Amino acid sequence: MAEVEMSSGREVRSSTGSLGRMFQAASGLFLIFFLGVHLYVAHIDFGHPIQFFTSVIENMHNFWWLAFFIVFVWVISYHAVNGLGGIIKDLNIGEKGKAYVNYAMVALYIVTVVYGTILAVLVARIPLP
Amino acid sequence: MVEENVKNLREGPMGWAKFYRKGIGYFAFAMHRFSGLVIVFYLYLHLFVLSHLLVGKATYNSLVTSVTYGPFDSFLVLDVLLALVIFYHGANGTRLALNELGIGLENNKAMFYVFEVISMVLLGIFLYYAYMFLGAS
Repeated sequence: MAEVEMSSGREVRSSTGSLGRMFQAASGLFLIFFLGVHLYVAHIDFGHPIQFFTSVIENMHNFWWLAFFIVFVWVISYHAVNGLGGIIKDLNIGEKGKAYVNYAMVALYIVTVVYGTILAVLVARIPLP
Repeated sequence: MVEENVKNLREGPMGWAKFYRKGIGYFAFAMHRFSGLVIVFYLYLHLFVLSHLLVGKATYNSLVTSVTYGPFDSFLVLDVLLALVIFYHGANGTRLALNELGIGLENNKAMFYVFEVISMVLLGIFLYYAYMFLGAS
């Protein structure tokens, strides 16, 4: 997670561990690429800010785009859940509370990626109109 | 100052919002957290909207149009704010990631300004291309 003071670089750290911060940074850098491609494909390339039903289905019928979006869901969910967990653990909660937060975040991550993956696969199987 | 920042951190979002006389470092830190929470909320909203693809073409197109434009196109303001939050978070996050690799620790404030200016220019370009065909549906 972020630091409070910029000047010294290490005056205040959040309770997220250094390994967690490193994975957060790495997944964040991947997301710059994933989100850039997503914004281009979904909001610019089609010449309209909204991507409607037919264009989404056409897009998801391509195996590589399907794989891209599944990986996107997995990485962005990790980044989101890890960040959210870090923020919650920085609040006034005890060690036991932090352990519960860890369990809850793992559960949330699993639910999100399973749901996102199944949704992407099911959408890819919708026949083109 | 550091003790006060830690206290604000423990207070949650209301504590983070106490920017007064904290400097740009604290502002960057607090806004990174706020923007992160907004993006997490939007992630699940996005999944909810996309789930309606399974319902059918008319339902999905109707829903995605209503959540994008809203009454009197008022939701377009929220779209712009969301894009602003995403670009801010991405730029500040890139700076933090480079910090984790030991890059730019000595010039952190300058890096913050440079990354944010670049991201706002990219935001302007994105918004221009995203909305130049507005109303062409």
